[in-house]
Amino acid sequence: MNAHIHYEEEHALLRAEARRWLDERFPIARVRSLADSDSGEDPADWKELANLGWLGLVIPEKHGGAGLGAVHLAVLMEETGRRLVPSPLLPQTLAALALVLDGSDAQRDRWLPAIASGEARVVYARGASVSGAERADAFVVPVRDGVEVVERGGAAKLAVAPELVLDRTRRSARVTRNGVALGAAEPSARLTAWACLALAAEMAGGADALLAMTAAYATTREQFGKPIGSFQAVKHPLVNVLIGVEGLRSLVYAAASALDAQSPDAETLARMAKAQASDVYPFAASRAVQLHGGFGFTLDCDAHLYLKRAQTTRPAFGDALAQRAWLAERLPG
Amino acid sequence: MEELRAEVRAWIAANHPGDPGFKLPQGPLEVESDRQFHWLRDWQRKLYDAGYVGAEWPTEYGGGGRARGSQRVIDQELTRGRAPFLINIVALSWAGPMILRYGTEAHKRKFIAPLLRCDEIWCQGFSEPGAGSDLASLRTSAMREGDSYRIDGHKVWTTLGRYADWCILLARTDPASAKHAGISYFLAPMKVPGVEVLPLVKMTGEGGFNQVIYSGARVPADLLLGRESQGWELATATLQFERGAAEGSAGGMGGGGEQVARAVALTRTVGRDADPVVRDRLAAFWIHETALRANAQRSRVAGLVSDRPESLPLMQKLTSSEHTQALADFACELQGEAAGLWLGDPNALENAEWQRTYLNSFAGTIAGGTSEILRNILGERVLGLPKTR
Repeated sequence: MNAHIHYEEEHALLRAEARRWLDERFPIARVRSLADSDSGEDPADWKELANLGWLGLVIPEKHGGAGLGAVHLAVLMEETGRRLVPSPLLPQTLAALALVLDGSDAQRDRWLPAIASGEARVVYARGASVSGAERADAFVVPVRDGVEVVERGGAAKLAVAPELVLDRTRRSARVTRNGVALGAAEPSARLTAWACLALAAEMAGGADALLAMTAAYATTREQFGKPIGSFQAVKHPLVNVLIGVEGLRSLVYAAASALDAQSPDAETLARMAKAQASDVYPFAASRAVQLHGGFGFTLDCDAHLYLKRAQTTRPAFGDALAQRAWLAERLPG
Repeated sequence: MEELRAEVRAWIAANHPGDPGFKLPQGPLEVESDRQFHWLRDWQRKLYDAGYVGAEWPTEYGGGGRARGSQRVIDQELTRGRAPFLINIVALSWAGPMILRYGTEAHKRKFIAPLLRCDEIWCQGFSEPGAGSDLASLRTSAMREGDSYRIDGHKVWTTLGRYADWCILLARTDPASAKHAGISYFLAPMKVPGVEVLPLVKMTGEGGFNQVIYSGARVPADLLLGRESQGWELATATLQFERGAAEGSAGGMGGGGEQVARAVALTRTVGRDADPVVRDRLAAFWIHETALRANAQRSRVAGLVSDRPESLPLMQKLTSSEHTQALADFACELQGEAAGLWLGDPNALENAEWQRTYLNSFAGTIAGGTSEILRNILGERVLGLPKTR
């Protein structure tokens, strides 16, 4: 398994831009107020995401997108994950990827420009629970040998019923067509690889934010007359989180680089990244709550926001058990 | 670099020394017989003559003067080709780099070429019976007497001590000063009066590990590295090399290679390759092994380490040694009752090499800073947590 990592100035620039904008736009107080709101998002944010070119990041230029690659996508997802951005950016990105990778020319011409401009709300749908469904205009659904685009208000009778969700920064709804969930087919290997990468990158950003938050708390919170971070019982679990996060980031950028290079190892690396993310993010979240002590399990502490995101994202495109089951069929040696 | 890679690959295919017909040690810590020693010394010489030891080191001192990154390619290919390890590990990977960085011109001319060629073996005199993780509490003394220092004290865990010609030695030149001050760093001769090497036996039953008693041994004053009382700073720099956290090794740091693939082969031998629980564990090890390799890659990508530049180098030894230990333990467990057999038993699987690897793996998690100390260092230097002490 080769793990060559490609990262250039343009990627660093996107990161700097994204981090600066997201820090300003989504302070945790605003994330909380959006999470408490009925819709869970602010339409003004959506417009801004479109203006920044992020809705069309992976959409080819001829379809109105930025035409950027997997490493760019990893950067953007990592930075949005850090801030728990309350918006359907992820399901819309997955829809765009499904169309780019598996759509027909007609489907791409029809939908990609509208996705990139933010004009159309289009989300990826497979299974009954669909992220970002409530305000979606259309759903991109994997079918055998391609994708189907199911329009809201089209011929088929669609029922979209908002769900009560654990993570209120990311809303979902139960979507059925004539009583049946969308998407019986497996996503393609290519789409799975890109989706695992996007998810793992987002989870890496969230886990990293938890690590920083908890380390800062352990440095200031005092017990027994000392900052609790001076105790090895606190320090060592935090280092274990650090080790997990570092390995995760390495796998994410190895997978992204492999996708951009169209390496045969890309899907394996992306699934490894998703497996690692599915272990590391919930672990980082549980340690964050635990090490914040009594405060940690109150609503006032920010740790639970991430914990809920971690628990919700873990199953997407396969949790760690599912990824390892896939990898177990392809072991080296 | 790809040309070099192909060249080394072809060279090792043609020049692999094969099975010597006697038990080889798994690493430099276990070299216990003259037969092993000579065989391994000859191997390092052969590699040096081929240009694969000290490939990037300056030519004026006997190095190869090749481009940066060459040694890594060479080491990777040697690991892939299952070449024997390089015996002079202390010299190649930490004493030598220290001499190149901090030594005088005379030190470099005197020491570098012989250590690369394995004409002179080096060992390390850091730990003492009362100074392990708390290294700065060391008590061995070095008193200036004329143009030399007189050394008295007791060093332990001395890899290659029995064969060593030279030792990177920490000793206190100023007994009155505070703990970390007053320590100096010597390039000390081993084969002189007043140096007694006593063997220690490891839990594998193998020797190769020693303690060294100094009673009035003399070190010429010009073999002080750096200045008097600069020893702690130099010791810290040495540990960076020893942990693989600093680049500059002359060879032998090829990494663990494809350990998971070997464990997969073992599952077939023991008929457990279809067990989904076993396969799940193997997949987890595979992910971890790949993550470690990706860490090594990413550590050389400046834009992806800028948030925490010290993190990956400082965790390298910790993560790789714990991976090796966990995987070896799992490979022992896979063997069922055969896990209780030892080297030489006709029914032992793979001649009990996994058992030996598991026992030896504790050297990795203890030597050069225990995993516990390294977690403290990572917590403090990388996460900014308050000091434990």
